[in-house]
Amino acid sequence: MFGYYLRLALASFRRNPGLTALMIMAIALGIAVCLITLTGYRAAAHNPIAHKNDVLFAPAVDSWDPEEPYDKDKPWRQPDLLTYKDANALVASDIPDRKVIMYKVADVMNRADGGMEPESIVIRATTHDFFAMFETPFLYGGGWDQKADQGPEPVIVLSKEMNEKAFKGENSVGKSVRWHDHDFRVVGVLADWQPAPKFYDVSNGAFEDPEQAFIPFAFGKQFEMGAAGNTNCWKTETIDNFEQFTQSECIWIEVWVELRSPDKVRAYREFLDNYVTAQKKLGRFPRPLNNGLYNVQQWLEFNDVVGDDRKAMVLLAFAFLAVCLINTVGLLLAKFLNAAPVAGVRRALGASRRDIFLQHLVEAGVVSVAGGVAGALLGLGGLWALRSWYGRVIEDFGRRLPFEPSSLVLAIVISLVAGVLAGLYPAWRIGRAAPASYLKAQ
Amino acid sequence: MEIRPIFSALLRNSAGAILVSLQIAITLAIVVNAVYLVKQRVDTVSRPTGLDEYNMFSVRVTGFGKDFNFHNMVREDMIRLRAMPGVVAATPSPQVPLSGSGSSNMWYSEPNEKGNKEPMNYYEVDEQAIAALGTQLASGSPFAPEDIEYREKESQAMPRSGKAIISKAVAEKLFPGQNALGKTLYDSQSQPLTITGIIEHIHGSWVGWKKLDQVMLQPMVGPGPSVQYIVRARPGELDRVMSDVEVALKKAYDNRVVGKLHKLADLKRRSYSSDTLIVVILGVVTALVVVFSALGIFGLATFNVNTRIRQIGTRRAVGARKLDIVRYFLVENWMVTSAGVIAGCMLALVGGYVLATHYGLERLDLYYLVGGVAGLWLVGQLAAWQPSRKAAKVSPAMATRNV
Repeated sequence: MFGYYLRLALASFRRNPGLTALMIMAIALGIAVCLITLTGYRAAAHNPIAHKNDVLFAPAVDSWDPEEPYDKDKPWRQPDLLTYKDANALVASDIPDRKVIMYKVADVMNRADGGMEPESIVIRATTHDFFAMFETPFLYGGGWDQKADQGPEPVIVLSKEMNEKAFKGENSVGKSVRWHDHDFRVVGVLADWQPAPKFYDVSNGAFEDPEQAFIPFAFGKQFEMGAAGNTNCWKTETIDNFEQFTQSECIWIEVWVELRSPDKVRAYREFLDNYVTAQKKLGRFPRPLNNGLYNVQQWLEFNDVVGDDRKAMVLLAFAFLAVCLINTVGLLLAKFLNAAPVAGVRRALGASRRDIFLQHLVEAGVVSVAGGVAGALLGLGGLWALRSWYGRVIEDFGRRLPFEPSSLVLAIVISLVAGVLAGLYPAWRIGRAAPASYLKAQ
Repeated sequence: MEIRPIFSALLRNSAGAILVSLQIAITLAIVVNAVYLVKQRVDTVSRPTGLDEYNMFSVRVTGFGKDFNFHNMVREDMIRLRAMPGVVAATPSPQVPLSGSGSSNMWYSEPNEKGNKEPMNYYEVDEQAIAALGTQLASGSPFAPEDIEYREKESQAMPRSGKAIISKAVAEKLFPGQNALGKTLYDSQSQPLTITGIIEHIHGSWVGWKKLDQVMLQPMVGPGPSVQYIVRARPGELDRVMSDVEVALKKAYDNRVVGKLHKLADLKRRSYSSDTLIVVILGVVTALVVVFSALGIFGLATFNVNTRIRQIGTRRAVGARKLDIVRYFLVENWMVTSAGVIAGCMLALVGGYVLATHYGLERLDLYYLVGGVAGLWLVGQLAAWQPSRKAAKVSPAMATRNV
């Protein structure tokens, strides 16, 4: 029966090719726009480490200016970075199963033997738990241990790309590179690792590349290097050297903790409150007590990674799809009613209302699937056009608007649901028409 | 007017009319909100920057090695760059306007954090900065070569010459109603700087910052080892100058890294990318949704005409003029459009409210709603015009024929 309905539908399309093309185009454009905006939304709303979402936490304490909040539009919001003092105090706790303190530094990397083109790169100064906490994949070697953090020992983990540049991709573990005019021994090389969004540090853009290399945190202070990321200060204080900078109220350090049980989460919250309360007695933290402990998802939301624009665009795209669908409902209705006499004859020859309904529903379904396929292609074309246009000036644009096979499946599913919804009323309406009136007119 | 009979006729066969009204309602809601969003973005992107950004580029250089002399490098590079054909001017600067990265601090019109206070985005530059940025001084003069301090060690101290050039936008806020030239301003530690120049208009680093036009130039080159060069080329010679400069800078020293050269226009495009992306997508959606609504109206009118050929013939036979037939269909269509527009006004306001409260966008301006309503009425009448003309051409003889 389905095959017969399909043939009837195709015959009906041949009778009104223009109208059919219009319906398919309407659905296709609606789907294409939804596909593009959803792709942007899903890329930003993605959680790259969802399976550890409930054990990884970024602590935030409000060490900001008593006169005004850190973010005037969202006064409840704590600063997104920590002072050097506070960050060190927060990782000193032995409650977390793992913990990491870090920031970005930048300088030139080269090789003492001149085996590579010198390059200015951004490095993450961090502690040994970073790799296990964030599950970075290793191509060669591994991270370093706690002892190397304390020394600090001159060890370095390279990104895959950096290893290509410095050692042409070979196993470089045990070899040495120069960075900031100091020798570092390679202990590990990462495999491809590009979490998007870059959940562990979104302060310079949620889609930026991970750092090119990783060294022990303590080198940051030893080399007296300021942050290659953001530094924000509010207090009037004399800062003439690096030591004073580390003791200042300027914020530039990030901390993450891994807390594997609700008890530990509770204990760490308590620890945060106790710490800030104790600091208040020393005259710091002039603002009301306001501590935050955000899991990965909450941290991404706290930093507004998805962005209001993207949400608004998805809303408007679906409103647009609704217009396209209503348009299609109207066109299908007109088309079916025009062909009502044919349905009348089929009814008179014994087809039930259900048969007529199903026949027309199949016709609507075919239109919507064709629209869905065309819409998916159109959407991919649109994505491609946007990527080639913006990709020239924005290196990470591909990650902001990626090709996702699952988005295609989503587009087809939306089109099928949409098509059935659009076909339901016209098919029901034509199925209900009394055959006699049409036969009489013939 | 035959409003009553048209309305009764509509009610008898209302499904199509309801669908078109609904479509128009949603269209109005989309169009009004989308056009409003697009208009704001277009205004933002097309603001004058006060820079000659289409003839400028920047490049970061970073020195390394023990016996590397950063200040010699900067001085020699400046001489080298300024001697190259096609280069108008060049300056070192830690950051570049429109690029998204920069530094700012707070300034006061009186010492001890008193008086008016305003934040400024500051750049440490040398004597060619005004020419290299392609910006105009409203009053005062550019820095002289002897004003520039080449600082040996990082510190918070102000440049030794004690001079600063600031933008007019912030000068007027710090010293309202006065001529700011020659006045002194103070940082939070009461370190003074004298205003020796006022820039007519200039944009700083962060295009999303409300105080984007509050900029200060300081006559200083930091201790390095990294700095950017901002170079302005003669119109039409940017590409050639860029490739010449890249070759010359790379050849000059072994122990330094020359980064990628960026056109300022590209940095600007990158900084505004989220705005232009919204303009592109919403622009396309708006155009399409209007076309679809017009098609929907056209389809409904055509359908109505086709199913009423006999009735039209009858009306013509009993004395209706062609004009009456056209008017009938236009009025019918106008009623459908109006129903849609009324519902659409509410939908647009709700939509605007949702966007404003949930998504932090600005509240919808009601002028856009008025414009949208008028526009859709017009589109509706235009779309119904051709079917109505077709109806008017139906011959009175059709009344006697079977269809």
